[in-house]
Amino acid sequence: MFDADLNERQPHIDRVLMVALVGLMLLGAAFVYSATMVSESARLAPWYSQSWFRQIVWYVLGTGVAAAICCVDYHTLTRWSMIAYWVAVLMLIAVLFFGSVRFGARRWFDLGIFSLQPSEFAKLAFIMAQAHFLSRPVEELRSLLTFWKALGLMLLPFVLILKEPDLGSALVLLPTGLAMLLVAGTPRRYLLRLLAGAAILGALFLVDVLFMPTNWQVKLEDYQRRRLMVYFGKEDSPPAGATKAERLRLRQQQSDYSHNVRQALISVGSGGLTGKGWRQGTQNALGYLPRSVAHNDFIFSVIAEEKGFVGSVIVLTLYGAVLFSGIRIAGQARDRLGKTLAVGIVTLIFSHVFINIGMNIRIMPVTGVPLPLLSYGGSSVLGSLIAMGILQNVYIYRKTY
Amino acid sequence: MAKKLQYRRLVLLALLLGAAFVGLGYRLVDLQVLRYEELSAKARDNTRKEFLLEPRRGDIVDAKGNILATSAFVKTVCADPALIGNRQVEVARAIAPLLQASESELVQRLAPRLGQNAQGVIITNHYVVLKRKVPAETWQKVQMAMTNLSFGLDEKKLPRAERRFYRDLRRGAIYVERFDDQQRVYPNQALAAHVLGYVGMNERKMDGRPLLETSGKDGIEQSFDAKLTGVRGWRLTEIDRPGREVVALREQDVEPQDGLNVVLTIDSVVQHIVESALAEGMDKHSPNSISGIVVRPRTGEILALATLPNYDPNNPGNASEDARRNRVIADVAEPGSTFKIVVVSGALNDGVVRRSDTFDCEHGRFHFAGRILHDHESYGVLSVESIITKSSNIGAAKIGIKMGESRLYDYIRNYGFGTPTGLPLQGEVGGIVHPVKKWSKVSIAQIPMGQGIAVTSLQMIMTMSAIANKGVLMRPMLVDRLEDRDHIVRAKYSPQRVHQVISEAAAEQMVTALKTVVSPEGTGAKAIIAHYTAAGKTGTAQKSGGPAGYLPGKYYASFIGFFPADNPQVCISVVMDDPKHGYYGGQIAAPVFKQIAEKVANYLNIRPEDGEVPPPSNIAAPADDRPVRTAAARTPVKTIQ
Repeated sequence: MFDADLNERQPHIDRVLMVALVGLMLLGAAFVYSATMVSESARLAPWYSQSWFRQIVWYVLGTGVAAAICCVDYHTLTRWSMIAYWVAVLMLIAVLFFGSVRFGARRWFDLGIFSLQPSEFAKLAFIMAQAHFLSRPVEELRSLLTFWKALGLMLLPFVLILKEPDLGSALVLLPTGLAMLLVAGTPRRYLLRLLAGAAILGALFLVDVLFMPTNWQVKLEDYQRRRLMVYFGKEDSPPAGATKAERLRLRQQQSDYSHNVRQALISVGSGGLTGKGWRQGTQNALGYLPRSVAHNDFIFSVIAEEKGFVGSVIVLTLYGAVLFSGIRIAGQARDRLGKTLAVGIVTLIFSHVFINIGMNIRIMPVTGVPLPLLSYGGSSVLGSLIAMGILQNVYIYRKTY
Repeated sequence: MAKKLQYRRLVLLALLLGAAFVGLGYRLVDLQVLRYEELSAKARDNTRKEFLLEPRRGDIVDAKGNILATSAFVKTVCADPALIGNRQVEVARAIAPLLQASESELVQRLAPRLGQNAQGVIITNHYVVLKRKVPAETWQKVQMAMTNLSFGLDEKKLPRAERRFYRDLRRGAIYVERFDDQQRVYPNQALAAHVLGYVGMNERKMDGRPLLETSGKDGIEQSFDAKLTGVRGWRLTEIDRPGREVVALREQDVEPQDGLNVVLTIDSVVQHIVESALAEGMDKHSPNSISGIVVRPRTGEILALATLPNYDPNNPGNASEDARRNRVIADVAEPGSTFKIVVVSGALNDGVVRRSDTFDCEHGRFHFAGRILHDHESYGVLSVESIITKSSNIGAAKIGIKMGESRLYDYIRNYGFGTPTGLPLQGEVGGIVHPVKKWSKVSIAQIPMGQGIAVTSLQMIMTMSAIANKGVLMRPMLVDRLEDRDHIVRAKYSPQRVHQVISEAAAEQMVTALKTVVSPEGTGAKAIIAHYTAAGKTGTAQKSGGPAGYLPGKYYASFIGFFPADNPQVCISVVMDDPKHGYYGGQIAAPVFKQIAEKVANYLNIRPEDGEVPPPSNIAAPADDRPVRTAAARTPVKTIQ
């Protein structure tokens, strides 16, 4: 599987990956259209400012950037990775102060025609920096100091993104970094200890949030606590001394929120085997799946409702094709840098896919992680396509000695 | 070596990813294949909604098409407390005067309440009824008040979320239910109240939801409830998240079938004439109650049926039980002398007596079966006709004795006493007629003069009508036909003959005798009408207090008559229960009869018998401003012979 094909006539780019990506983009455009064209106001907007068209523009832009990346050997690219990393960190700090607030979080720079989400690019910068850092000789990887440094490299953007707050985007960094450490060849004992430590911390965190009295709890954003509560099926108890109005508001939010989750599940389930047909989903069209999230975080529910089990399996298959080509590319990469780079990107994409689909079908709490290439959103599409460009890059330059 | 480790770990990673995908896939199979039924049912529940479409309740109109009872569409004003936040006081202050509700009570209703839904999740209520039966104009005013509601702050400076709160409050906090409600309106207030009846609301559970239904509680409203109500329709449709109907996805839409209009035989002008005359009689003699009925003898059609005290069916709750009771059919009393027509007509029919036969009236004292019977004046020998004219008790008793118990009983039953007449109104009683074997010795002498028997005033007038109608007893008719909204007749009721009670010849003799009552020599002299010969009978009975015997000083005065005597058009009865000033039927009931008869004759254009044209009068046009349309149009037309 991982043996380099010595056939000279082999293509320069990975065709399976290419086909899967085109498939995902077509689906993305079609279902962003379906999810947004239901409301009267969306239909009245001029075609060039409608969501589906903007999404296609982002696809084209992203493909262009990815093609450009493919022109430069990834070795050359990663030489700049530390700079990119620190620039990204600076942007993450800047967004905390100058970012625009939406849904109670500072995640975006408002740039007029579009808004930039620095965390999307920070993830990529982190992967490149980490890959670059881990490409040092094997002996150095065995030292504890290197391990701690690698962890530090991961935790800095993690903490900054958590601060925005954007729990979902921050969380995907953890499996990504871990997978890269794993494949790079970090000794097993470090990894096991890390895993054990993370598990204990996570468990403590959950116990604290779910069962401890309010004033003993870690400071979490309101909506984050609520999401966790809903996921674990617990009632959010209002803080002691809350006014009646506050209690009411809290309950309202809670019920709205669990409404979203329940409706997403109903959407997916009611799709059945073949779905209700494109633009025919009642949950989507009649607004039971909330309009504000149907085209981004809950696009999978729309697809599952309108195209049924067949549609959702096609989505999973396309992502599967992307991920396993990615792993094959990692196997064929000519050095550790290429391998860790490819594995980082595969894990990043996988984490997004798993968390997002997982929250649509209620096996993960809702964390606002977009579905790569399908969810509406410029930064996410651009980031995903750049990641794919890097993956192709690793493939193209696999045999250059 | 290091390479191999890397490969191993890469394979491990691939396996982990594969496992995660299998996990997702399994969950999808679970949701979309295994739980499809359950979840698609939930999705359907989200959107499908069934609305009940209420039919319009039919009108009740009089014989001329004047509306006596109708239904107006009204709104049910509701509120969504969740949208009001803590602004209950301001909202209540703005709309309380419009809805005529107390401000503090509104504040209470507008306060959000917490409840639990089926999943045990705590939710606020979004629906509370503020007021039912609000006319459309009032609702418009409420809407206006809400749009212009001011909270005394500059909202342009508020953050966006608060601005939206106030916008939603103004737009959506107070709303009306999707489908209009109906309110029963009786435009003529108390006119014919006892015939019409009234409606009430019942709450019924349907599919777990409360459903308010209007149903008739008395009178025609009750007995024709099923026809008036109509058939409920429904609409199965889909709604979107904000609860608006998606018309394109409407699945079933069954229009309601409106209720039928009930067309009465009652003529509201005649009814009004009767009620005015009764009211005057009430003023003059202060009886406990006074009742009047006008019947067409040929058909049994009831042109007017009234009893005072009455009530306004628009607010039946304000009236006492007594005022709501239709005494004409629900109360029984010993009829007194009017009952003599039964025994005399029966005896004439059997040939037991002839009109010119004479009886000794014992000068007012007649010993019979150990009792002494009295006349109100002392009479010597009287002919059968004169016994009627003078209303001699002793004469009537002797005719009864001559006739025999069983024949008398047969005639009593044949005239319909002892059974309800079958008027389509609830609560009609049959009266008390004891079978012969329960009679005492003196019964055969008492019953002919209207004692020891209890009848309704409706039975009494139907008996008089039978005599006027050549001996044929008719069933009283109150409903002429049922029509739909476009006046297409759906059911027609025709006059119903019960049977021939006495022969035409006997009836003719009886009429001749009854004419003498309404003559200067008769007891009913005060019932003489200009231009017409009337026939009738007076009645004055002591009120029976049950087993305790007769109540001293309490009387039951009546007059029943018809005219023109030889071609009877209308039969009119007037009954006073316990009048305070005067008590003879001929003294106090007969003038009321005369008053009614003259006005009705004028209104109905009954041809005068003496060839003279009655003086034009304006009584046919109602004296007050009650909306009686066709009557006003008809008024002045008189045929000149």
